Amino acid sequence: MEREILDVDVLVVGGGPAGVSAALRLASLQRHEGGAPLSVALLEKSRQSGSHMLSGAVLDPSGLDELLPDWRTRGAPVETKVLDDRVYYLTERSYLRFPFTPPPLRNDGNYVISLNRLVRWLSEQAEAEGVDIFTGFAGTEVLFEGDRVVGVRTGDRGIDRHGERKGTFEPGVDIKAAVTIFADGVRGNLTKTLIRKLRLDGPAPQTYAIGIKELWQIPSDRVSPGSVVHTMGYPLRNEEFGGGFIYALPEGRLAVGFVAGLSYRDPLFDPHEAFQRFKQHPLVSAMLSGGQMIRYGAKALPEGGWHAVPRCHAAGALIIGDAAGFLNSMRLKGIHLAMKSGICAADAAFAAVRAGDVSVPKLATFQRLVNSGSLRRELYPVRNVHQAFGGGLFAGLAFAGLALVTGGWWPRGLLSSEAGHERMARLARYYRTERPDPDGTSNAVQVDQTVTFDKLTNVHYSGTRHEEDQPTHLLVLDTDVCRTRCRKEYANPCVRFCPANVYEMVDDGSGTGPRLQVNAANCVHCKTCDIMDPYQIIEWVPPEGGGGPDFEGM
Amino acid sequence: MVLVIAEQRDGVLHKASWEAIVAAQQTGQPVQVGVAGSDLARVAAELAVAEVDAVLTVVHAALESYTPDGFVAAFADLVTGIQPDLVFLPHTYQTREFAPTLAARLDRSLITDCVAVRPRDGRLAFVRPMFQGKFVADVSPTGPAPHFASFQIGAFHPDALRLGTSSAEVHVYDVSLDAEAIRQTVEPPFKEAKQAVDLTQAERIVAVGRGIRAQAHMALVETLAASLGAEVAASRPICDSGWLPMDRQVGSSGQTVSPKLYLALGISGAIQHLVGMKGSRTVVAINKDADAPIFEVADFGIVGDLFEVVPALIAALDADA
Repeated sequence: MEREILDVDVLVVGGGPAGVSAALRLASLQRHEGGAPLSVALLEKSRQSGSHMLSGAVLDPSGLDELLPDWRTRGAPVETKVLDDRVYYLTERSYLRFPFTPPPLRNDGNYVISLNRLVRWLSEQAEAEGVDIFTGFAGTEVLFEGDRVVGVRTGDRGIDRHGERKGTFEPGVDIKAAVTIFADGVRGNLTKTLIRKLRLDGPAPQTYAIGIKELWQIPSDRVSPGSVVHTMGYPLRNEEFGGGFIYALPEGRLAVGFVAGLSYRDPLFDPHEAFQRFKQHPLVSAMLSGGQMIRYGAKALPEGGWHAVPRCHAAGALIIGDAAGFLNSMRLKGIHLAMKSGICAADAAFAAVRAGDVSVPKLATFQRLVNSGSLRRELYPVRNVHQAFGGGLFAGLAFAGLALVTGGWWPRGLLSSEAGHERMARLARYYRTERPDPDGTSNAVQVDQTVTFDKLTNVHYSGTRHEEDQPTHLLVLDTDVCRTRCRKEYANPCVRFCPANVYEMVDDGSGTGPRLQVNAANCVHCKTCDIMDPYQIIEWVPPEGGGGPDFEGM
Repeated sequence: MVLVIAEQRDGVLHKASWEAIVAAQQTGQPVQVGVAGSDLARVAAELAVAEVDAVLTVVHAALESYTPDGFVAAFADLVTGIQPDLVFLPHTYQTREFAPTLAARLDRSLITDCVAVRPRDGRLAFVRPMFQGKFVADVSPTGPAPHFASFQIGAFHPDALRLGTSSAEVHVYDVSLDAEAIRQTVEPPFKEAKQAVDLTQAERIVAVGRGIRAQAHMALVETLAASLGAEVAASRPICDSGWLPMDRQVGSSGQTVSPKLYLALGISGAIQHLVGMKGSRTVVAINKDADAPIFEVADFGIVGDLFEVVPALIAALDADA
């Protein structure tokens, strides 16, 4: 098949805060340093810039300061200063306010933002600087020459569900670049293959959490804009990592969300259900009652910290942002680090392209920039904190406090950790005495469609859309396992950890028991299944370009 | 004056054109209808029964088949010529393609996918859903007239059409059209498209959901549909399993329908499905689960096993026939 080939100097894959920052920085380097024109292309799988962006979000503006020092006068959608900062410990019916806000959660000088809006704005700035942003195109394959990355292939369009070409077939394009910057987000499909093929793994496996968020419209005089609330405790148990957040935006918009570590042991745990229970808590429901849920979404986030960051440079390639794992799980912040890693990558790529040398030693400049700058300064001291939460909330909190004093030093060096899916216990082991019925709904959360919602209703408000007639983009390598082993061992946890009702066990009366039904069109691109499936047989690949959620205002 | 741009193909009027005319009549302003093609005598006569001031046919050999360039040029000419205050279109696939270009060509505003139009503060407000239908916004156009608006299929009922006491006048509107300037060449329709059913035009629909359980039971549904003279449609799981072709899917990822009768069999009524059929005139639901959300939008509901109810319905219908 003839494929079109597009040649550029630098290709950025992924138009999130990391990727767009890298592209913008490259454009401004070119403008300041002059020399031969530099062509920069950016691929983004969503139809519109920012549509797949989901974050809390409280922004530490230091990344933006570095990227665009004059952002305040340029009209960046970063307007709501954090004015009030509270942390609560929740029990089922009550709450206890922390007498002081722990230092890592202090948000003086930070802003409550919509990441969707910020990224859309940043993309406009990048386009104005001459960056070619191709929205609606996902990278599906890394192009190698030996061990050197030479670009990315975009997905074919117009393939039907049986893999046959439709009348609208269009082959993907090979985009070749001297340097490819991978910013494909948390558990990026390309970064995943890159790490595997070139053995770039960090010293510890990456661990993740899932964040589920709703945007609410409430009476505008109820919560003052800039209010920030974090919670610990209920509905999670000590053994589960995570907590809730409530961030108030102007005009009565309220971001309400819940983060749950994807390292839980109980195979019957359901993050979406935990989120519903969180909203039912008196502290939260008092804020929501009478309001309207207007948007829904979910996204995984990398929580492993410094030790889980892979080697981020290879011949012709750099990895940045959530794809690399630049997120401070103790501060619950990653946007500024994503942006800073984008800036470092742009600097390294620019120097490499100008020198005509994209070898490993040359691109190792990126590592040096990361190590000598604020990325390491922020991440290294908390390198063991997330791992400490593996011992439970209280052990984690104690360690987090200790780390503040010792700079993260710990007599045994790297705290051991395992990948989250390995921690999930089998039903028989977790529920020793009485094994619960896999189809049982005894403890299901009450869905009232006003404060609490079922997943399918929620999905509707994610605005997710996919071309229906296309091959599934969730590859389950062996669906027999679902019916046989997984059903017995874990009671099909995919139906619970997926926040979008993609996975269902359906009994079609054939007598062989329930079979796995994959509703790929519901997918909100959170990547949780790829991460948490205990058998690691679910592979998330990009659907036809442009498909996916529409996280407007999230 | 409101100009309604009606849609036809091979001399057959798109039903949604009537809905756009209803919307125009509700503004209280005089209405004219424009339609483009190469042979429009029949369509024009059909449109002339409505209470409108005139039907304007834009006839040209180059308009025989729809092309965006051809239709934009023709309607730009018409709109400039007759200077309406408002231009209404049904929100069809064709409209989605050419209306933005048309509005941009004339440098005028376009409000798409409206569900109502009403006076507000001395001007017209166009009502359009936002956030997947969670909110509706009143949008008023600014800038010079004409203002363009397209209307969601099913938002208005053709039954509300006011008929004229006598047939409206039909005028041929002459356009100068440069056939060479049309960049698109029309190919024969895809094979799939030839077979495609347009559920939006169906008067009765029997829709089936997961409650049907197995493909073997689809025959029962088809028998009922045949007895009712209805089209068969389905919610997503059925089309996803390949039990019906995908063009029979109703809902947010399928078609939006508004038949006179919508019979929902074993459909729970997830919001994704409801948004595609809530414009139906009469909804009858059969479901085992009395708490199924479909009953909230149903005019008549039967809580029961569809495998008992449907055969009884078929027997009753056939006895009548």
